[in-house]
Amino acid sequence: MPYTVQIQNVSKMYKLYHENVKSLKEKILFFGRRGYEEFWALEDINIDVEQGETLGIIGANGSGKSTLLKCITKILYPTRGRILTNGSIAALLELGAGFQPDLTGRENVYLNASILGFSKKEVDRKFDEIVSFAELERFIDNHVRNYSSGMYVRLGFAVAINVDPDILIIDEVLAVGDEAFQRKCIERIEQIQLEGKTIIFVTHNVDLTREICDRVVMLDNGRIVREGEPRDVVNFYHKAMESVSSSGERGNRQVVITSVDLLNERGEPAKEFQTGQFMTVKVSYEAQAPVSDPVFGFSIEDYRGFTAYGTNTRLKGLDLGTIEGSGAVEFRLSSLPMLEGKYFVSAAVHSRDESVIYHWLDKHVSFDMYSGVSDIGLLYIPCEIALSNGAS
Amino acid sequence: MIERIKDLIAHRELLWNMTFKELRVKYKRSVLGFIWSFMNPIIMLAVFSIVFAILISRGNIGWFSVYLMSGLLPWLFFVNSTTQAVVSVVTNPGLVKKVYFPREVLPMASVFANMIHFFLQMLVFFAFLLIIRWHFSPYLVLLPAVLLLETLFTLGVALFVSAANVYLRDVQHFVEVAMMAWFWITPIVYPVGLVAQRFRSFMPLYLANPMANIVLSWQYIIYNPHKYAPKGGVAYISFWGLLGTSISAVLFFFLGYYFFHRTERGFAEQI
Repeated sequence: MPYTVQIQNVSKMYKLYHENVKSLKEKILFFGRRGYEEFWALEDINIDVEQGETLGIIGANGSGKSTLLKCITKILYPTRGRILTNGSIAALLELGAGFQPDLTGRENVYLNASILGFSKKEVDRKFDEIVSFAELERFIDNHVRNYSSGMYVRLGFAVAINVDPDILIIDEVLAVGDEAFQRKCIERIEQIQLEGKTIIFVTHNVDLTREICDRVVMLDNGRIVREGEPRDVVNFYHKAMESVSSSGERGNRQVVITSVDLLNERGEPAKEFQTGQFMTVKVSYEAQAPVSDPVFGFSIEDYRGFTAYGTNTRLKGLDLGTIEGSGAVEFRLSSLPMLEGKYFVSAAVHSRDESVIYHWLDKHVSFDMYSGVSDIGLLYIPCEIALSNGAS
Repeated sequence: MIERIKDLIAHRELLWNMTFKELRVKYKRSVLGFIWSFMNPIIMLAVFSIVFAILISRGNIGWFSVYLMSGLLPWLFFVNSTTQAVVSVVTNPGLVKKVYFPREVLPMASVFANMIHFFLQMLVFFAFLLIIRWHFSPYLVLLPAVLLLETLFTLGVALFVSAANVYLRDVQHFVEVAMMAWFWITPIVYPVGLVAQRFRSFMPLYLANPMANIVLSWQYIIYNPHKYAPKGGVAYISFWGLLGTSISAVLFFFLGYYFFHRTERGFAEQI
């Protein structure tokens, strides 16, 4: 069979009861009078996942991603339509679901694997691999109740990912664990991809889908709004998110930032920049009354809120004296090092010791970075490769 | 249905693991652990022997404590299974909402865990009987059949109440009360002859209770009433009662399973 997961016209409706009536007395009292609203969490979803394909599903919170995964794994059943699956499924909807705190790590590995539908024999064969993947060799015979949350999650992930399913379903679980473990998980996923297994992957970390998925589907309000090439869908997602992202604003407005403009090397406003390109962040202000010793600053953040770069006039050793009326401060960035992605610019003006904030605009404007290089990561670092061998 | 059973067979290891999990977790932080399973019947035997031998005289029933135990242990297997099964689905939201597996594993594991418990208790009980040189009845060979009958019936009830409890939490409270009433309409502490004597016309109704027939069968094959209580009114096997019980045990099992299967799709949304 060419397809391992076929989702055909799937819709899922939840009944939102006006009151959650759970006891007999209430059932009789409210009999026939209980109103409910229909809530369609999924509407008419059609996706065919081919053997060996890695499909990413992205979308805002409440867009129906998790409901769809739960339908695929038969935890929920679609109201309409059907889902055909072919092959054994291991779902990482929640790591360590079903771990028993009063059992040891070893006992839980077997229990958890059997919940996923794998036999003792299979686990026996994989046991050492699972334990070393989870880095829990020393603790495997301790009670899980004594595990730290990180250990708990590592063990859960290690079990599910090492039991050799035909179809692996991952929901937002890579967000846990430290960076090294995340990296290891991604490497393991890449290895599973090479083995020709099918993976369905849900995440908020959309840039990760660009890294590992063959195809991405974006859901919004229970419908597929975009489907196809990861790069295209992820860019679409960023654009869609931008329109809803709420930019914060605060300050006593003694000085008002009237605009923040991003200019290219020709001094023209731009929304798109290339890696290595010149950029000017122009912060225009207006002060009704004289304000002494203000500090202007800006920062560039990625979609996660990670600050790529930021500075202000104080850090640069500048003293602006007293300002009044309107004016502008230009920050000139001679070479943008960021790789592809969406970035936000925040701008602020405050007193020297930051005790008084005049005006602070959080993620006020955004721009997209494009890059001619295919390297991965946040920043471009010029890199040359030299080869040498033992003879030289 | 056949699909379901296939799926259950594929998950048989899960069923065993869940069963042993229940047993292991039960005694996990206790020093004596599994010894408690043995201690229970020993202490019960001791208490009953003292109470009934010294305080209350039951002339017509010899070894009253043995009579009591031969009905009480199977009854406890039924009650403990049912009361544990009824909450087995609702107390595992982490599993039911997050992972797929045949959900019937949960109530079934409750039943099987109690069955193992029951075996251990029976082991102690039989050891006691051997020590006092009990004269066993030849009907003892029917033990597997009686066990099967009780297990089927228990599974049926367990599957039904555990599924119903997801939709209506009253079920677990109802089961608690119902079990107490049920205990007294089952001939465990009193001889069935007492009922036959005083309420003769009610006997068919009395024997419509499957547990009454199951308990009577256990008493018949273990206690050996013909030898120890010829006039005790204890030896009572009704053909129609047993036939009805056998049919209802099979029926309960399949209906319980069917009901569970029908309602199971909504579990993750309801918990």
